[in-house]
Amino acid sequence: MSSKRYFPFFLLLITFSLILLLIPGCSLVSGAETMTVLAGSELKDIEPLLDQIEKETGVRLQFEYIGTLDGAEKLLSGAEYDLAWFSHGKYLTLLQGGRGLVVTQEKTMLSPVIMGIKESKAREFGWVDNPNVTWQDIADKASSGELRYAMTNPAASNSGFTALIGVATALTGSSDAINAGDVNVPALQAFFKGQALTAGSSGWLAENYVSAEDDLDGLINYESVLLSLNESGDLREDLVLIYPKEGIITADYPLMLLNAEKQEQYDTLITYLRSPEFQEEMMRTTLRRPVVPGIQLDGRIPNPLLVELPFPNSVDIIDSLLFSYLDEQRVPAHAIFVLDVSGSMEGNGITDLKTAMNNLTGLDSSLTGRFARFREREMITVIAFSDYVQTVQVFTIDDANSQGEAMQEVRTFVNRLDADGGTAIYTALTEAYRLAQEAQQQDPDRYYSIVLMSDGENTDGLSPRDFQRYYEGLPAEARNIRTFTVLFGNADEDTMTDIADLTGGRVFDSTEESLSLIFKQIRGYQ
Amino acid sequence: MDRTRTLFVVILGVTAVTILGIFLFRPKPDPVVGLVGSEKIPFFQDERVQEALRRNGLDVTVHKAGSREIATEFNLDEYDFVFPAGVPAAQKIQQETGVSTSYNPFFTPMAIASWKPIADLFVQQGIARDEGGYYLLDMEKLLPLLQNEVRWNELQGNTTFPVNQSILIRSTDVRKSNSAAMYLGLMSYVANDNNIIQTMNDAQPYMSFLSDLFLRQGLLASSSQEPFEDYLVQGMGHSPIVMIYEAQFIAQAALDNGTILPEMVLMYPSPTIFTKHILIPFSEGGEKLGQVLETDPELQKLAIEYGLRNSNLAEFRQFTADHNIALPDTIVNVIEPPSYEVLEGIIQAIEQIYQQQGG
Repeated sequence: MSSKRYFPFFLLLITFSLILLLIPGCSLVSGAETMTVLAGSELKDIEPLLDQIEKETGVRLQFEYIGTLDGAEKLLSGAEYDLAWFSHGKYLTLLQGGRGLVVTQEKTMLSPVIMGIKESKAREFGWVDNPNVTWQDIADKASSGELRYAMTNPAASNSGFTALIGVATALTGSSDAINAGDVNVPALQAFFKGQALTAGSSGWLAENYVSAEDDLDGLINYESVLLSLNESGDLREDLVLIYPKEGIITADYPLMLLNAEKQEQYDTLITYLRSPEFQEEMMRTTLRRPVVPGIQLDGRIPNPLLVELPFPNSVDIIDSLLFSYLDEQRVPAHAIFVLDVSGSMEGNGITDLKTAMNNLTGLDSSLTGRFARFREREMITVIAFSDYVQTVQVFTIDDANSQGEAMQEVRTFVNRLDADGGTAIYTALTEAYRLAQEAQQQDPDRYYSIVLMSDGENTDGLSPRDFQRYYEGLPAEARNIRTFTVLFGNADEDTMTDIADLTGGRVFDSTEESLSLIFKQIRGYQ
Repeated sequence: MDRTRTLFVVILGVTAVTILGIFLFRPKPDPVVGLVGSEKIPFFQDERVQEALRRNGLDVTVHKAGSREIATEFNLDEYDFVFPAGVPAAQKIQQETGVSTSYNPFFTPMAIASWKPIADLFVQQGIARDEGGYYLLDMEKLLPLLQNEVRWNELQGNTTFPVNQSILIRSTDVRKSNSAAMYLGLMSYVANDNNIIQTMNDAQPYMSFLSDLFLRQGLLASSSQEPFEDYLVQGMGHSPIVMIYEAQFIAQAALDNGTILPEMVLMYPSPTIFTKHILIPFSEGGEKLGQVLETDPELQKLAIEYGLRNSNLAEFRQFTADHNIALPDTIVNVIEPPSYEVLEGIIQAIEQIYQQQGG
């Protein structure tokens, strides 16, 4: 037979294929659909799995990371995303009330929020392989100064938020869902006496636990993060995982559909995310627990009896717990603001700065603003500098009412600032550490931190080396005071990065975002 | 080209076009979209169920909803039918929509998913009885433990589960889900000295106790699938006793995939209460679906595979025996829920207590 004889077959085959391609649902050549996801930064470790998710579902997830309350606020104010994905959705579910923001949600994985303690400490306390350790025991050790731990700020990050709810519930002694009246403030004060490092993000906290290991005895975080730290090889000493006996709260990472029009894609996505294949891969790479039955737990994940504490059923109760944490329970903060008022700040710069500071005195009534503002018991030092330290003022917030005397004083002071002169970054920063060390000696039971905001290069005063020499000569407690630097205008990124690195702080970029927003974020680290 | 060859090509071409035509223009089953309680989602997603429905000319798509949320949280114009669990939830929807037609293709008793050590502990306390593979839980004897907020570690001689947490039956949110409403109906009967509560006035003395059964648990799921899944995945410490539909346990056990562990056991509250699954149609397609579910023998059989009970008791017996699931094939001590008005009244009163707490 000649090849000519096959020609009609080829023709038919081609016609068939073309028709098949045109029938919807049969498309052999479909591009991936992108879905936008507002996600907690704790979801970052899912990124390596995104290609696989796209391959299996045809959906490309495009993440934008944000903190707990920031995220809730953004969604409530009408920001449009297809999906939301946080370590838990309970706060948002409660907060949305009848507004129906969340079309549907399904849990995707599990990880309890627990405590990891250095092996030597755990041995010293008799807590290795001891199923009877309680949150109360931890509070006792924290209060006596024997246990210093890291935990994120509950008003800024999900792991701290979940931990606060768990600890507060456990310490009522009732074990039932907590009510506003049940909060045992003295017991919580004792517990948080041990909080020697705070942060606005669980990821940053875990990274900085590694660099501050010598100064800390452990940290509160997701079980998956603690297990990953132990596996990383970065720790000098392994963490012993403590599952307190009163119970814990488990993060369940619900994938929430926000855009009702994408129900079909959501269904495809959730079917795959909850398939044994993905669950096993996710467990292997992130050390979170599977959320569907019938999957053998990875041998690296411990398997004790996990008693779950009830989660409060009202926003009011949660809010009052968060405010109580900030105003009563936590170690009171002393926040030092080192603010650049050099000539280049003139105009919009100084106005933005004034707005950002004014907002912290209670003028920002948004959800995040209410938690980020200066709190009861707090001390604030403002150092305004140009080519020299222009002025230094200390405020004691004994009345956190936005119209109260303390807040008025801060505003009056800030609103009088004038932009003029050069930029003496290191001179101002050295002065900040000098004042901080002095304050720390007089009042060691505070949490000290420094914010350094500048819009330019160092032009006057001390050199980087002068500052470094001064800093390194400080006593250990003072060296633990971290500096969070804010890039503003034409800030010198290298200078700001070096300072943050040297002091264990973090760089915040306000060249794209408003200074008000950045100051609110930094409040999570104070 | 010779004739044979041409003919061959022509025949082939015609055949291809015909096949293509059938493929493109065959009569399509009617698309029918409904809102169903989460517990019935797997049934509708089963390919065999879909096939049986298509055979009956129906192409059914279902979306998940808490049975009691259906009437309030959704735009029902977009749906051909709703299929909540429970007579009270169905009555609520019927009242809101004015639709009086309904179908009742299957039912399931309320049961408690638990663990062997807990069940044995209850037997030891004289609260439960081992019936050979399953347990009967004496609700009258459980009542004082719930009323007095007794904790697990306060039970005399409890060495198996000495946890410092209140003995509470885990449930769904009573404001949103039928299984919790059934649990409430059951407890209102037990609290009222084994009498159905007839008026809101009769309910008053028990309101604080009844609302605490839910409020003390904190934030609760709105559909019954979640607490059962938590039970399967998160273990005894998370979910020692959970109010479920019997069907959920049977369906899971029948998968024979090892997800029902040997220490997982089924307890039947005594008395217990039935949940009837009521389909309310809003269109012709919805009506047809209701009829088909009630009458098609294949669909009735498939429903049994999902643990549901219907008129075919012989098949139910056979199915559970085949999968070695120990359970009573008939349940004797069954009560009726309070009337729709009373149950709704109690739930609204509980809702107010939630609101006073800021929930």
